[in-house]
Amino acid sequence: MVRDRDPFQSALTRRHALRLAGLTAGAASLAVSSGGLAAQAASLAQGTTGGELVVGAPQDGYRNEPNRANIGMFPLNSNVFESLVRLTPDYQVEPLLAESWEFVEPNTWRFTLRQGVTFHDGTPFTAEAVRWSMGRIAATGGGVLGVDENSTVVVDDFTVEITPTRPNRRLPQQLNHPNNSIVAPNTEPAETRVGTGPFREVEYSREDQYVVEAFDGYWGEAPGLSRITFRFIPDATTRVLALQSGEVDLIYEVPRESAGDLPSSGDFTLATSEVGAYEALYVNIHGAEPYDLGQDPAIREALAYAIDKETIVSGVWQGNAEISNTMIPPGILGPAADTITGTTFDPDRASQLLDAAGWVPGDDDVRTKDGRRLTLTMIVGFPNADIHRPMPEFVQAQLADVGIEMEIVQTPDTASYEERLTTGEGDLWAEAGSQNDGNPCFLPDLLFTTPVPDGDPESTAYGRAFAPGADFDAHIEECRSAVSTEEVQAAAAAAMKVLIDEQFVVIPLAGTFRLFGVASKVTGFEAHPSGVNQRWAGVTVTE
Amino acid sequence: MIPYLLRRLVYLGPVWLGISFIAFALSSLSPGDPARLTLQRQLDRQPTAEEVTRARQDLGLNDPFAVRYVQWVGQAVTGDLGTSYRTGEPVLGALLERFPNTLRITLLGLGGAVVVALPLGVMAAVWRNSPLDHLSRIVSLLGASMPSYWVAYLLILLFAVRLHMLPVAGRGTWQHMVLPATTLGLATSASLMRLTRSEMLEVLGQDFVRTSRAKGLGPRAVVVGHALRNALIPVVTVAGMRFAGLLGGAVIVETIFAWPGIGKFVLDSIFDRDYPVIQGFVVFMGTVFLLVNLVVDLSYGLLDPRIRLGHR
Repeated sequence: MVRDRDPFQSALTRRHALRLAGLTAGAASLAVSSGGLAAQAASLAQGTTGGELVVGAPQDGYRNEPNRANIGMFPLNSNVFESLVRLTPDYQVEPLLAESWEFVEPNTWRFTLRQGVTFHDGTPFTAEAVRWSMGRIAATGGGVLGVDENSTVVVDDFTVEITPTRPNRRLPQQLNHPNNSIVAPNTEPAETRVGTGPFREVEYSREDQYVVEAFDGYWGEAPGLSRITFRFIPDATTRVLALQSGEVDLIYEVPRESAGDLPSSGDFTLATSEVGAYEALYVNIHGAEPYDLGQDPAIREALAYAIDKETIVSGVWQGNAEISNTMIPPGILGPAADTITGTTFDPDRASQLLDAAGWVPGDDDVRTKDGRRLTLTMIVGFPNADIHRPMPEFVQAQLADVGIEMEIVQTPDTASYEERLTTGEGDLWAEAGSQNDGNPCFLPDLLFTTPVPDGDPESTAYGRAFAPGADFDAHIEECRSAVSTEEVQAAAAAAMKVLIDEQFVVIPLAGTFRLFGVASKVTGFEAHPSGVNQRWAGVTVTE
Repeated sequence: MIPYLLRRLVYLGPVWLGISFIAFALSSLSPGDPARLTLQRQLDRQPTAEEVTRARQDLGLNDPFAVRYVQWVGQAVTGDLGTSYRTGEPVLGALLERFPNTLRITLLGLGGAVVVALPLGVMAAVWRNSPLDHLSRIVSLLGASMPSYWVAYLLILLFAVRLHMLPVAGRGTWQHMVLPATTLGLATSASLMRLTRSEMLEVLGQDFVRTSRAKGLGPRAVVVGHALRNALIPVVTVAGMRFAGLLGGAVIVETIFAWPGIGKFVLDSIFDRDYPVIQGFVVFMGTVFLLVNLVVDLSYGLLDPRIRLGHR
């Protein structure tokens, strides 16, 4: 070692080094001991006696504007509020605050309400609360329900009629959405949250936590927990670490790459729901050059056979999904789901279809026809690009095997994605969606019906790219006008069949589960496939 | 000093106007219709074309760019940065509500970085090529090379998951600030340490240091009283720039540690094309940058008496 002759340099002695080390260690131990004690105290305070549960929830998505406030309701359902009906884990609609309902021609729904229910402030639940709550929805445009200030009529204390401003026979299946919760009359959730649910609010600290405690006067079965603290932790990896540290007892949205590791320690389990969401590709069938290749039915059908869904389920979703023939959860279609057959991986058949359509392999194995290369562009960005990774690369490799070249374009956010969709610049569109209400026609109707003049812009953008035409529209019309569940399911399934089996506009890739990480001391937790309808009353914590 | 301060304050005006123009132009050029996104969020359904047209009119989005810019700047100079499309909050209030949270971890991180980096940088220079020097260089190289998200997860794994000494995420106690501040401070301390070392090495070789020693001053007086003071000017400049950069760029750390600062709020606003918040944030942070730079410039006069700011 070459040493400078500077006398200051040579003065680093063992004594100096020891003093430095001692100071550093002292400071560290001081910080550690005080931090450790505090952490232990916090752990004891969180305790589990009395059934207290700490939940690691995704980021705080609540709104707090007047009339639009949905604190405690959506997207994190704290069970402070209840709707007239509830969505079961198999996507059926069951009574909740309404005991029964009936359709009255031409466009009215009459609800008979549950008696003996009180709000958290002691106010009795009556039809007036329904009128007040529907009035809040009407004040912001009526939502998907299509209600205005005159739509809700109180017949008597426990009977109420709702007449949407447009024909809407799907109303009971839409009412279960937590945004349609019933709030106490003359209260505004932007200021105070008073519901009828099994838990009542203790504290809401924006972007930090939401705390609820059991409501003694709950009309139903008493909740097993005395208190739930929902902590907002936006980063999924941090949520997993918080679970592993014992800081929280249960976490939402376990990242699929961590799902396999959680149960290995024995301290945690992975709770999975039935299929409640999906990943699918939509093919642009009305695009202008150079995005017009999807107009060729042979290419669309070939795509459906060229993609190995099993590899995507096992490789991309790491087994936390299942192969799905439908876009929306099969459970919501009931027995009618079986009428949709889908396609199975068959690259030879895909090649034969392309050969027959005149697409022949070129020197670099990419097919060409009349001098044009078979190159498709996949747009990835809804709801964000991250959620699809690494699916696009899997599909790219599989399509290359049958001579289809694919370029991947990732948009930075939903707005950029939708902007691109508006101009139709893309052939394949990767989307992940969720089914959060009981209406099986909601997504097919929104995304694939033929655009109407002056229709809503987003629906128009989707329709301009993907609408398969009259057959599909006819099924959607049946779906809109049907009353019985079976009729609705049959119509929705028929519409999906046009999209998937006949026109190959939609290529379902996977039906995905909700993934929750659960500490072993938590019992009774049943993951709901629609994340926004999670129920907490049956959960208990044991030491 | 006061004339210089006044002159600098006057210069801030055109720079601030330039920042405001860039902020306004860039957000206006980005894809996505804020009127439709706002309505979607407010109505819980897809808005009709008529509703979108009306909303664009109400939000003033149909006016020419120059008209909108002049109106916005006119309000901004009075402290009115508009109202968030997304949350309905006044933008300035929303930013000021969250800014202190970001400021806390940034100050703690930078403070910790300075406390660690300065002594180590000085010692590494004074005892050049010693084990301490080698160790400090290795540590600073590692600190500057590791991405902040990776550091954050490592710190959580070690101090929260394994040792249970600190909380994983959230807020409430001083312990909640330790890991985010450490994550923010680590890379800064690494660069400050390297800079301090190199500046000190250069200064220690200059004539006035030799003269000081020849006068019989002790090692501490020479190093701390003379050499360090001269070496500090570039260090303070870099620290000031890093401080302002950390304030505006703490979004990853805030997200990982569920820290409700300004970065996460603005990121969500970008995704929702909440133009008033995006524009307000850029102008707000631009103002903070300008003020931090001003403070750094003024500090030169305190550090080096040869700089006669008031008599330039």
